[in-house]
Amino acid sequence: MDSFTIPTTSSLPATQLLPSNHPSIAKALHRLSRPSLLSLCLDWLDERNLDLTAPYILEDGGDEDNDLYPGANSLQELRDQYTETQKQKGSKRDVVDRILEGDWRDGLTLYQMAMVDMQYLYDHPTSQKWTALKIVPLSSDEGRPNNKTALPRFHPATFLQNLQREVLPDVKAHYNLDRHAHLPLYILRVYIVDSPYNTSLALTANSKFSPEASRTFYVAFPDNSPHIYISLTTTSTTSLLPTPTSDNKSLRKLVLCGIPKAFSRPRERYTLEPTRLSARNLEVLSALRGGGRTNNAAGGWGVYAGDDQSDNPLRIVQLPTPEQESETEDTKSPAKKGLKRRIQPEESLVKRRKLLAQGRFGNSAKEHDGMGIERVDLKLEDRYSIISDSIEGDGGDAEDWRPDTRVTFNGTHVFAGIRQLVEQGIIDGEKMPGWMTGEDGFSFGIVRDGRFVDGAA
Amino acid sequence: MSLAGTVINDPIGNQLDQEINTLQAQIDQLKSQRKLQAAAVLSSHNTKAILNRLRATKAPSSKNGQTIPSDTDPLLSSLSAQHNYNQENLYRACASITTFRVQDPDPKAVGGGKVLGVRIDVSSQGKFIRPYYIMLNKPYVESNLLRVHRHTVPPCMSLSTLAERYLPSPKLEAGIVKGKKQDLRRFVREFRKVAVAYHNRITAIKSLRKDFKLDEDLKRKNGKGKERERVIVDISAADAEANQVRIEWIDGRVGRCVVGDTGEVKKCVVIGEDGRDRDAERCITERNGRMELIAARLKDGIY
Repeated sequence: MDSFTIPTTSSLPATQLLPSNHPSIAKALHRLSRPSLLSLCLDWLDERNLDLTAPYILEDGGDEDNDLYPGANSLQELRDQYTETQKQKGSKRDVVDRILEGDWRDGLTLYQMAMVDMQYLYDHPTSQKWTALKIVPLSSDEGRPNNKTALPRFHPATFLQNLQREVLPDVKAHYNLDRHAHLPLYILRVYIVDSPYNTSLALTANSKFSPEASRTFYVAFPDNSPHIYISLTTTSTTSLLPTPTSDNKSLRKLVLCGIPKAFSRPRERYTLEPTRLSARNLEVLSALRGGGRTNNAAGGWGVYAGDDQSDNPLRIVQLPTPEQESETEDTKSPAKKGLKRRIQPEESLVKRRKLLAQGRFGNSAKEHDGMGIERVDLKLEDRYSIISDSIEGDGGDAEDWRPDTRVTFNGTHVFAGIRQLVEQGIIDGEKMPGWMTGEDGFSFGIVRDGRFVDGAA
Repeated sequence: MSLAGTVINDPIGNQLDQEINTLQAQIDQLKSQRKLQAAAVLSSHNTKAILNRLRATKAPSSKNGQTIPSDTDPLLSSLSAQHNYNQENLYRACASITTFRVQDPDPKAVGGGKVLGVRIDVSSQGKFIRPYYIMLNKPYVESNLLRVHRHTVPPCMSLSTLAERYLPSPKLEAGIVKGKKQDLRRFVREFRKVAVAYHNRITAIKSLRKDFKLDEDLKRKNGKGKERERVIVDISAADAEANQVRIEWIDGRVGRCVVGDTGEVKKCVVIGEDGRDRDAERCITERNGRMELIAARLKDGIY
């Protein structure tokens, strides 16, 4: 450790060690499963990461006998050991202890901590709640319409450099940028330390005040899209703590404020705008606010956006031939002809409902499509018309009375649930308003006269 | 499959399964073949003539003749449907902008749920890709002005900017609808231009990569022992709109060139370890050249 410390404006270096007895390390490691821990260790022992994640290795001859986890003599030996442990069965605790008291007894670097957190995020994709924000040009330069630079360009290295410059010097942060395994986006993990120093002393002293969760947050940058997704910490845990939480929130806000500025360039400034969508599922966000075709064609309109080989002007096959029709009728019996053929009314009704649901939801909102929004909050501002119709003597001004009604849908996949209700006939698929199909791509907002209100956040 | 078959490795069951699978695949293939044949038969002029003649001759005597093939009428209707479809395809392939009507299933939808669909067929690398759809509705009371309702345009084509310019929303001033005039034709044409230009740029970048054999296996090439070794390491689009192309040389030089709307190289910067490489820059931008010919010009310079 340095003998004296001076405040700096640089970010926390990735090689900064966090001592192994630091409570947050054990906590972070214990969150992971045993296989993930072991694969992570092997990652740390990989050649490419060694600069940042070097383990404790014995110098020649210096072996301590009374050590519970004696240090290894070479990297290869360690690698073999961990590969061996992967095949065996054992407890997670053993692995964590081995890491903390054995091979990384000096502590973990901030880079390693970031890897641990990212691994947790990949193992539990729904552990964070993401909110989509739109990056829009600042309205003051509205005068000149520029169609060229509608999308802010994201260049990871430059962006981080700019971000570091924008964030105030009394906030220290460690940034780690990672490419998502299968979604087209980058995830930035920001770990905030409320200190102007970037030494390990600052790190350890800081941990006493604030819980770990409120000090890390994530920002996701989808490719080719004017949106970013930020993670919100689960608020229930932070409310228990006294003052420092609000402080941390403001720190987070500071970093967040830096993001649009880091995107900006001279004569091209950006700001963030809410888009009324938040969900735990990153896949949903990247479908509705990503770089593809489905942004503005959700729900039933998705049939126009999906991958459909037959939608091609050079394809001449289109119609089922008459003979073929009769064949399929016997086996599958299309519902349109169902009534004529006198199938059981029960059956035809079920078919009708299914068709109706297909018409309203298209190919979306299937139960296991992994595109679940788990919470939808709506404020309904519809006219209270039923009463005013029945009691006509009450006067005209009651007509425009709009009661304040709030509806919240909760579940693993809200819109799949609604689709199932339509298929069961509990919701009338014909009279159901459009916001119940999820075609607007909002998860919260105001509904007025059966439609989402534009503009109001 | 039997229960035992799932648990233990049953060779006979496996074989049967395999046979069933191949037969199923065969059935599917034959079915699609028949579909194709049927469509071809229906599309031909001879079929139409024959069917028409059949109906014309049989129609007067239909009251007593039970032997008439009763399926001529459905055949005729599917014939005309096939003809309509063929015609639509012809328009789609040649005019590339076609419209259709959609009924919005939402009962609360504006304007009675009437939606105008615009389909823009764009080809990329010699193939038609999934067309872009723009759905327009009339949300404004007592006016025929349009607004983009839904669309399947990715954000890198910035439909909203075009919509702002050519389909401006009316401003209400003292109860009277005011605002600039909307121009749907212009809007769709401009959008098509953007989409086609985008796909042309993507295609051009792909063909540049092909020219420098960037997507091929490096090892195989080395094995051949050709004297031409790789000079360019990477060529890729630098931004979402593919307006900028990034070229990376093996010696660490990095180039960036800006491509205009019509595919001409506008500007270019190449920076190596010791400053800018003017020769390469000139080579790339030479004679305000096309981006497709960057490879040819560079190759002339190198070899």
